[in-house]
Amino acid sequence: MLAIDVHDLRKQFKVQKNREGLKGALKDLFKREHTEVAAVKDISFQIPQGEICGYIGENGAGKSTTIKMLTGILVPTSGKLVVNGFVPYKDREKFVQGIGVVFGQRSQLWWDIGVIESFQLLRKVYRVGEADFRARLDELVETLQLQDLLNRPVRKLSLGQRMRCELVAALLHNPSILFLDEPTIGLDIVVKTEIREFLKRLNKEQGTTILLTTHDLQDIEALCSRVIMLDDGRIIYDGGLEELKSRWGKGREVQFQFTDPVSLAAVSAYTGDMAVRWSLENDVTAKVWIPREMNVSDVLSRVVGQKEISDIKIFETNTDEIVREIYQSGSAEAPRDLSALSDDNASEKEPAKAGAGER
Amino acid sequence: MSRFAFMVSLYRDYFANYMKTKLSYRADFLVEVLSDLMFNGLNLVFIFIVFMHTPSLGNWSEAEVVFVYGYFMIASGLFSTFFSAWNFSERYIVKGEMDRVLTRPAHSLSQVMLENMDPPSIVGAIVGLVIMITSWSTLGLPFHWYDPLVLIVMVLGSCFIYMGIYTAMSAISFYSDAPTGIGPLIYNIQNYGRYPVEIYNKTIKFLLTWLLPFAFVGVYPASFFLGRLDEWWMPWLTPVVGIVVLSLGLGFWNYGVKRYRGAGS
Repeated sequence: MLAIDVHDLRKQFKVQKNREGLKGALKDLFKREHTEVAAVKDISFQIPQGEICGYIGENGAGKSTTIKMLTGILVPTSGKLVVNGFVPYKDREKFVQGIGVVFGQRSQLWWDIGVIESFQLLRKVYRVGEADFRARLDELVETLQLQDLLNRPVRKLSLGQRMRCELVAALLHNPSILFLDEPTIGLDIVVKTEIREFLKRLNKEQGTTILLTTHDLQDIEALCSRVIMLDDGRIIYDGGLEELKSRWGKGREVQFQFTDPVSLAAVSAYTGDMAVRWSLENDVTAKVWIPREMNVSDVLSRVVGQKEISDIKIFETNTDEIVREIYQSGSAEAPRDLSALSDDNASEKEPAKAGAGER
Repeated sequence: MSRFAFMVSLYRDYFANYMKTKLSYRADFLVEVLSDLMFNGLNLVFIFIVFMHTPSLGNWSEAEVVFVYGYFMIASGLFSTFFSAWNFSERYIVKGEMDRVLTRPAHSLSQVMLENMDPPSIVGAIVGLVIMITSWSTLGLPFHWYDPLVLIVMVLGSCFIYMGIYTAMSAISFYSDAPTGIGPLIYNIQNYGRYPVEIYNKTIKFLLTWLLPFAFVGVYPASFFLGRLDEWWMPWLTPVVGIVVLSLGLGFWNYGVKRYRGAGS
């Protein structure tokens, strides 16, 4: 059975146009002009039960809008949408009983009361029986190690502690689908890892379907078997993470550290007419980019022995770079000249461009 | 009915949490009650001052006007106890807290009401009841066994009117993203309802009776007990108007929720 079934889903927002200047403002007062802006443009995808799917895209690509439609918060402009057997916005109250939602930037919990009291209140709202609640809570508290936090008010928790509590809050009613909107935003690496481990376990043991949006591609690598990539309201890639990597990540890079200074011309001469590209990091460090179809050993054998080498490192193009490259080309269909990839390697690792507020 | 029982049990739990939170800020709680009482006290003083200058207002004596005011306090105090989402637009629409509300399995309006309950307001309702009983004896009105029951029906009707109007007002934020200045306007009109409508001109009387029926939270139902009726059925319209206004308000809300656009996260 499909957990999520989406056909030609579209969401348009009416945006008021503000004309410039005082004159424009006066005109706006009498006659407003609106433009329709489509945040999500006729997307279709299916997610079977028990899958962990990553939903990625730049700010403003339409991720949050999609999640909000899938969780019944927003009503789509057009298209077909079935989640967990319900049309989310139609049977909202019944539907949300079967899903869990975590918005990384927004709290589900009551600020001033103890964590456990928030949980109790949610138990009532979701009509979970006392016995079920106890069993579920004990289990979750143990896996996420929240024993010491339960009696503290939420406002006194650190972000990492709060996020773990948010997860429990979203799972108390044992939902079969969990939606996570940037669950690891702002967390340190330890908590991130903990949360990833927890989600993986949840998926494995309970078969919970998970759909998460994130800007942290480590989340995707650690969790997702499938990635849906969104750009400007359209799906530009939908498929396995491995496939994405093998299709795009065609190169590897080897970094040599020599004991004596080298020049670009000198190192280039070692490999002769091989289809590789050299670049110099500093006097003693040089990098060579090798296409996937070529053996690393061939290149190594050429270089080793030419000069004294103090260190060798091999880099595989990681998902960050692949994704950045796809955004820049605007399509995941036809990989372009991949040598561009290695050019940006040294530059910033930030995959997401800062943009206007997310829709 | 099970839905109603569910809401009542939720109210109890939210109330318990409200108390837990408030008890840690005890002074806050007291200040809230006191300011509420002072506000209503000043309005009462205003009525007394007016009657120092005139023996009657459009045929209404001081005690009668105070009686009507007492009724108004009961209804508005009770209403505010359960509904005080004055900052709805800012908190739920602009900040996008409606997102969270909509991912929970209970009606969105009831959740907003639960999250914004204001139990100190009940003190105002109690004071209103005391004022009403006092002027009841001052006026030497007869007491019938059914009067308390009628009072309950009337007060419920009046609360429904408030709820319908203020629900619709909150729901405006679903339709228009600019904050509207309509809130204070409605609130001012509401305050006209606690005086006998006969003292106003025809337009205002019509407005308060049929358009924004605040006269049904005050003078009309109160005149049943005062026994001054031009038309005997007028007070009995209170519950009817209440149900109509509440249904309209809820409809406007439910339709508005479908247009909710969320805040950029």
